[in-house]
Amino acid sequence: MSENAHNPHTGRDGDNHPEGHDHAEEHEPIIHEAAPSYYEILEISIRELLTEKGILRPEEIRRQIEVLDSRSPALGAKMVVKAWLDPAYRSRLVQNGNAAAEEMGISIYDNTKLTVLENTPGVHHVIVCTLCSCYPRPILGLPPDWYKSKEYRSRTVREPRAVLAEFGTLIPEEVQVIVQDSTASERYMVLPLRPAGTENFNAEELEALVTRDTMIGVALPSISN
Amino acid sequence: MSTENLVKHLPNDIGGTGSSDDKIHIFERDLYPWEKRCHALLDVLDYHKIVNTEEKRRGTENIGSEMAGKLSYYEKWIVSASNLLLQKGVLTPDEIAVKTAEVAKRYNLVL
Repeated sequence: MSENAHNPHTGRDGDNHPEGHDHAEEHEPIIHEAAPSYYEILEISIRELLTEKGILRPEEIRRQIEVLDSRSPALGAKMVVKAWLDPAYRSRLVQNGNAAAEEMGISIYDNTKLTVLENTPGVHHVIVCTLCSCYPRPILGLPPDWYKSKEYRSRTVREPRAVLAEFGTLIPEEVQVIVQDSTASERYMVLPLRPAGTENFNAEELEALVTRDTMIGVALPSISN
Repeated sequence: MSTENLVKHLPNDIGGTGSSDDKIHIFERDLYPWEKRCHALLDVLDYHKIVNTEEKRRGTENIGSEMAGKLSYYEKWIVSASNLLLQKGVLTPDEIAVKTAEVAKRYNLVL
């Protein structure tokens, strides 16, 4: 991953025109942002050209940014905890991930098929996208950089236990590890095992244990964290 | 032996020079605003059925091993989108050249 030599505070869509700021006239123009990279200039240019041609509307991009911002692992955690607490929901979730998400008001906005992989005492799942970066974004948000890295993509399918160990997750030899590769149309989420000692936890306390990494499968929910 | 199997099982076409044995660099960061805009732009192009996920992915791979190795994730995305929009005739090279020069000028840059 190369360093990007620009300011992370550059404005959002439509907000990156220095001349748009209405400051007192006696000042030299103030450039608020560091110089954008070539690639950021390309992004701005393509977006503006498509808008000028009437192919896209600026509000579509803004709306999609709002959709992306509204998604986080908290949604996946709600589904996991509901499955832990409600056996009927659990079977619906494992049978049809899309319907089980929609049932909780979570739209699968990218029209992908969501399959939920149920961990058992004898089987642990971990997800990867060897081709690129396919990930259940509607329920987990955008993936971390390491998920998209060549190292994770190459090694998870070859030596999953070594990869899991790098995340501090040691799976006992007698537990089978299943690696599930994702595609453009098929996405996966791991349904982790509910940890022992959480019998008296309420839903909110349980959700706090279900982190993003437990639903990717590189970590296990733990009450000691 | 039927040749059908060859057609049904296409080779993996990941760009670059092979797999990696390196340790995973585990860290967290927020996306830069332009990266999120780039993500949203490609999502919207998908909704309009102009560039789909698989085309975008292939576009990030067939840029040669040097670029595949040196560009960051969203740098590859925007290069892929730009190449695909040119191939599909949605944009022309001249339009991109004129617009990028104009955008650069706003920031007192010359491309």
